[in-house]
Amino acid sequence: MNIKLKILKPVCNLPTAICQLLFALCLLPTVLFSCKDEIVDFQTNECKNQPAFFKGIGFDPNRTAYSTSENRKMGLHLIQFNATGDTSNGGKKLYQHPSWKMAGWLGPILIDPQGNCFVGPVPVINLLDNPPAKQNTIYKVDGNTGEMKMFMELPSTEIISSTNPYGILGFTYLCESNTLYVSTVHGSTRDKELGFIYAIDAATGKIIDKISNVDALGMGISYITGKRKLYFGSARTSDIFSVSLSKDGKFYSHPSLEFSISDIGPRGDDKARRIKFDKASGNMQVFAIEFNYNLTAPTEKQENIYAFAWNSSIQKWEYNK
Amino acid sequence: MMKRTLFTTYIFIILFSACNPSNDTKPQNQYDEDVLSSIVANTDSLKTFDFVLPKVDEIKKAMALPTPILLCGDSLTVQQKLAQQIAIVDVNFTKYVRNVKNNDAYRNEIFAVLPARESDLSSTKGIVNIVDCYKVEMYNYTLNLTSIGIVNIKENKIIAVSTQEQTQPEIPLYLKNIAIKIAINSPEVQQAYGIKPTEKDALMASTKTALNRTRCERSRHLCVAPTFTKDGKALWAIVDLTEYKLVGVRWTNTGTTGPVKPITERRLQDDKITACFCEKETPLDKDGWKMNYMLTSSDGLRIAQVSFNGKPILQSAKLVDWHVSYSGTDGFGYSDAVGCPYFSQAAVIAFEPPKILQIKNDAGSFVGFALEQVFKSELWPSPCNYNYRQRYEFYKDGSFRVAAASIGRGCGNDGTYRPVFRIAFADEQNNFAEWNGANWTAWQNEKWQLQSSNTAYTPQGYQYQFTNNNGTGFFMQPGNGRFSDKGRGDNAYVYVTQNKTTVEEGEADLITIGPCCNTDYQQGPEKFIDSTPDNIQNKKLVLWYVAQLKNDDSKGREYCWAESVLENGIYITKSYPCFAGPMFVPIK
Repeated sequence: MNIKLKILKPVCNLPTAICQLLFALCLLPTVLFSCKDEIVDFQTNECKNQPAFFKGIGFDPNRTAYSTSENRKMGLHLIQFNATGDTSNGGKKLYQHPSWKMAGWLGPILIDPQGNCFVGPVPVINLLDNPPAKQNTIYKVDGNTGEMKMFMELPSTEIISSTNPYGILGFTYLCESNTLYVSTVHGSTRDKELGFIYAIDAATGKIIDKISNVDALGMGISYITGKRKLYFGSARTSDIFSVSLSKDGKFYSHPSLEFSISDIGPRGDDKARRIKFDKASGNMQVFAIEFNYNLTAPTEKQENIYAFAWNSSIQKWEYNK
Repeated sequence: MMKRTLFTTYIFIILFSACNPSNDTKPQNQYDEDVLSSIVANTDSLKTFDFVLPKVDEIKKAMALPTPILLCGDSLTVQQKLAQQIAIVDVNFTKYVRNVKNNDAYRNEIFAVLPARESDLSSTKGIVNIVDCYKVEMYNYTLNLTSIGIVNIKENKIIAVSTQEQTQPEIPLYLKNIAIKIAINSPEVQQAYGIKPTEKDALMASTKTALNRTRCERSRHLCVAPTFTKDGKALWAIVDLTEYKLVGVRWTNTGTTGPVKPITERRLQDDKITACFCEKETPLDKDGWKMNYMLTSSDGLRIAQVSFNGKPILQSAKLVDWHVSYSGTDGFGYSDAVGCPYFSQAAVIAFEPPKILQIKNDAGSFVGFALEQVFKSELWPSPCNYNYRQRYEFYKDGSFRVAAASIGRGCGNDGTYRPVFRIAFADEQNNFAEWNGANWTAWQNEKWQLQSSNTAYTPQGYQYQFTNNNGTGFFMQPGNGRFSDKGRGDNAYVYVTQNKTTVEEGEADLITIGPCCNTDYQQGPEKFIDSTPDNIQNKKLVLWYVAQLKNDDSKGREYCWAESVLENGIYITKSYPCFAGPMFVPIK
């Protein structure tokens, strides 16, 4: 992967000149130790809130979730599980707002502290309902009204790849700064990795930072290493990378390889679709799938979950077999 | 039109073991030479090796036993043999050796009987003397499943059993030796290595093992990779020990900075198909026919610049979509594109190279050749997985056919498959006419027509004709049950549109142009007929052809269908293709 990062930014609020001087000193090996990453001690990065409109339409927030993967049903759905959590025999209640089909088939979902829901389009089997030009558009469901509207279009290359049907593939959120992170592979080709991870102010839709030339799939944020880190899975390989974040949500380091899930699981070349951290233990769960930038739709569930624990003594993630 | 015996008589398969180095549209150095020179073995090959026959006999005998388990072929101690015997009579250990529904025997084999280790006993209760315990590993080839039993030979019982799906144990020595033998006796390995390697060549000094780890992700078979080193490079030969055949070969750099990424079945196939057939055209010159062909992102195998004896015939031809609808559920179906395996808009992908097959007539004479490409879902023929075959036939007399078949299996027995062909003729000034039962009637403007039971054909079976301003051209015979391909008629929609140079109307790769489940003419091509249809007289023309094929799973009448049957303990596929597509015969 060829990563281009704009510039490394120190975490400080000093006047720019002083800040730049300190930053320059950081580059000197002799004083590197005095300019370490910020140490953070937050336990979790959990801040989502239930949308207010759930109750208005008669759904119990404690048993309700958004879904973009209901069988043969396009768009976003609200599902309320029955009291036992059993979903067999249709044991769930479904709801779809009239606006929730506007973006075609959808993939990633993220709920913010205000109960707003962000979704991204992901084509299924064909592009009839997901035209390539629209695959870099983020949609937002208002937490109070339930209405879906376009939130923002990410910058796109003028020439859309005729071979790559995908755009937005992943979301995650930094609660401290209300930053929405979006991974997109829009415009990437087999020969050129042209994807981005954008850091976006969730309130205004302003892009505050980006990593270019990286095709990322799932993402997640953890503090367990003592640093505020965004982890992401490559869409091209089975590698999991991390990048440090500043408290205002900007990227603070170059992405570095953490580990690989290559040769794990039944297929051996899975890609990380989603990265989640256990609240109690801090362990990482990697939800992994087969992904080859095509529109094949396996009939059997392909997702495997691989668990990793942080070994602080050797400063490495270890696979929990 | 003469009856061509196409599907019973083609005999030669020409494999693309390497990309054609001539007339490449991109310089070769843009591709990894190891990928370009890799070989994907022909999956249709029935090639077997004499030295595996005794093993096959052993398997058949074991399958006939009440407990269908082939015992470990490596030499075992008395204690190990005892542990094996205890395991194979245990109900839990043998839970998966047969199909619980019909009692059919699966293919099972004991791979190892090893002294147990402390870690093997972690789930056992009570105090156990570890020296009395053995771990028995059994592999189920049918289900790709491993069963592990911990046996206490002193107590004459199994104390723990576990099973792991989609998991394969370490293979025993005698299977390693068979794998190496298959590799060194495979012509593909000898071709790639330069000479026939010896068993000694397969030993890798660095790892002290003859085998590299690999996987057959698609077939879900037991695969290993005997590896031969030469001049600082390693030749991986992927061997399928479920079917005792070679999957393919590929060179890699041996690597000095870390472990080499394994070459697996999927990686071998996808890299080869992508580099050789998805990113450049391949020229073909045979029997007076010249053309370029390549796999597209979503329009199947496309042929272009097609000429016969120097005369341009087709600008291009391709398979735009497959629309599949099921009558049992209103509006349920899929609109599938077929194409490349990596970076494509295809839902059903190619993972074998295109093939060239010779065509013989009833008299046994070679009359032409076919260019054929298979597209498959990885789990075909299990339900809701698909297999499509695209086929171009070219004859020495100047005739040609653009065809495709579904081989099921799909999501039900009430399905209708509608392949959408686009065929662009090369002549700048063409005219199109239909046979009305007595005369040829010219079409003035763009339009569509449905082939039906009332359709009139000439005595030779022709429905349409294309003629240029010299009066030469082609008769067109739709699929009407007259081809020797077991076709039952195409019931096709035919659309003729003007091929405009100023407007892009499908010459470039098309995204899916129609929904799954329209049952009328609205299959996508009608979008290229304006509300005021263009005149098509003396114009460059495009023919769109949408066949309609109803599947059938009734015994003896299977059509567009496939099913798995258990044979010698492994699943093989019985397929019943439904071919469709028009034949074009020169007007003389």
